[in-house]
Amino acid sequence: MFLAWSEIKKNKLRFLLITSILLLVSFLVFFLSGLANGLASMNREAIDSWKVDAVLLTEESDKSLYESALDRKIADELDAKETAVISQMGAIANNGDTKQNVMLFGIDREEFIKPEVSEGDPTFYVQNGVVASDVLKDEGFKIGDTLELSSTDTKLTIVGFTEKARFNASPILYMKLNDMQKIKYGDAYTMNKDLVNAIVIRDKDWATLSLPDNTEIIETETFIESLPGYTEQNLTLTYMIYFLFVISAAIVAIFLYVLTVQKISMFGLMKAQGISSAYLARSVIAQTFILALIGVVLAFGLTLLAGSFLPNGVPIMFDIPTMIIYGVVLIVVAILGAVISVWTIIRIDPLEAIGG
Amino acid sequence: MVLELRNAKKTFGEGNTLVEAMKETNFLVERGELVAVIGPSGSGKSTFLTVAGALQTPSEGEVIINGKELSQLNEKQRSKIRLQEIGFILQASNLVPFLTVDQQLELLNKVKKDNMTKDEQRKLYEDLGITKLRKNYPSDLSGGERQRVAIAKALFSKPAILLADEPTASLDSDRAFEVMELLRNETKSNQTATIVVTHDIRLIQYVDKVYKMTDGVLKLESSAEMALDSTE
Repeated sequence: MFLAWSEIKKNKLRFLLITSILLLVSFLVFFLSGLANGLASMNREAIDSWKVDAVLLTEESDKSLYESALDRKIADELDAKETAVISQMGAIANNGDTKQNVMLFGIDREEFIKPEVSEGDPTFYVQNGVVASDVLKDEGFKIGDTLELSSTDTKLTIVGFTEKARFNASPILYMKLNDMQKIKYGDAYTMNKDLVNAIVIRDKDWATLSLPDNTEIIETETFIESLPGYTEQNLTLTYMIYFLFVISAAIVAIFLYVLTVQKISMFGLMKAQGISSAYLARSVIAQTFILALIGVVLAFGLTLLAGSFLPNGVPIMFDIPTMIIYGVVLIVVAILGAVISVWTIIRIDPLEAIGG
Repeated sequence: MVLELRNAKKTFGEGNTLVEAMKETNFLVERGELVAVIGPSGSGKSTFLTVAGALQTPSEGEVIINGKELSQLNEKQRSKIRLQEIGFILQASNLVPFLTVDQQLELLNKVKKDNMTKDEQRKLYEDLGITKLRKNYPSDLSGGERQRVAIAKALFSKPAILLADEPTASLDSDRAFEVMELLRNETKSNQTATIVVTHDIRLIQYVDKVYKMTDGVLKLESSAEMALDSTE
């Protein structure tokens, strides 16, 4: 550490450049991880807030909520600890000033997925009253707004707002199941009023439940991964992060190798004097660790600072434990990048340095 | 006896390409003795220095440093011997460019125990006239100052043997004589066995014995009788 730190102190500019590059790569990794997290959250935050273990859909729906249609009575026949039904439809909601793509979720108010209202009336007492995702507030929607829907003449009223209520990147309007079914089926309401899209289940032993014909039960995570675009989007961002790990290792490897090559005669003289390769290798590793640590810590702070200045429309959500893990990975890959330099040092022949 | 070469020989290549860089050599140096090895370029001086300095093993014969025979040791073991027993003063300054004079010596404290005490170090600085240079980096020093710091660095670890390869090559005459005077004083006061490899015959006035290397053959020159006496 002595040799490593002394060199950094003497050649500040040189090491500042390396640290700056590590800082920028780390910043990008943290930022992308926040973006990946934010985008994932837009898709799944409602489902996560329900804390369900599994979802029951029709077999032919191929794990798609939109394509599934079940009789709600199945929920009573299932021997699960807790169940809740969901009827869903997409629509464009217009409050007179703003049009917004929304997801209507019809639910039974007595069941556990009833939203916790952060603002307004939690009872849905008004006919066609909805508890809306609070992200709509940023779009200009407020309690008491009358909403026109694109596919029906029925008007809805916002009676409250709730947090964490987005599904597949759309804000949710929670409403009473019956009101929802009337909108969804119109004249066919009486015939279809018991048809719901899915039954969500809270039961750790969901895999052992006996199911009606033509239905399938899937783990919540599988259900989320089957949401349109979710896996593709996540994989894209995750691969970008992984590539950045490789790139940061390559950058560190190249920089340190160039520095090491410049110092070959010095290392050779030190080895001639009996300073072991192990000591010199530890010094290079320590130097890499110091540079990577400074770069990662500064990037960590810079990312959080930059995040606080971003407009609400940017779907970014920083998960500190994930960022810490990525930070540690960045430091580890930087150290791996130093391996070539270490190998170079080990191979230096002190005889050549001394001119033998 | 501190350093002895017994029938030591160093060859490179084999068959038709065999080169005898150092022919069969017998060499002995005691504590407190300053010896010069002179000879023209390409005569084998560097080979002798690297064999005597445990940087490579002889092809035949033995090299004994403080009672330890080196031929059978691997590079790691020889590296330890170099650290513990040998101080190097090299033609190219062997100073680490990003360490101050003080830090050059502190580095040795990090890798080896039993170096000079603070008081001994202070006296060494005074003897070498580098007390005021303690906080300077090598780039801030003149050639002569760098060489004096290199001597301090070599002596700091209290080596049994001091090997100096052309220690005055980059210095003018006055500085060269000054460095040789310093080496002589330190050799006597620290009872080090010092070997100076040089092509500058003006320096032999400072040494106890002179060996001449010609075409790989090392031969005792001016003080032959004295050398013979010390080996008996």
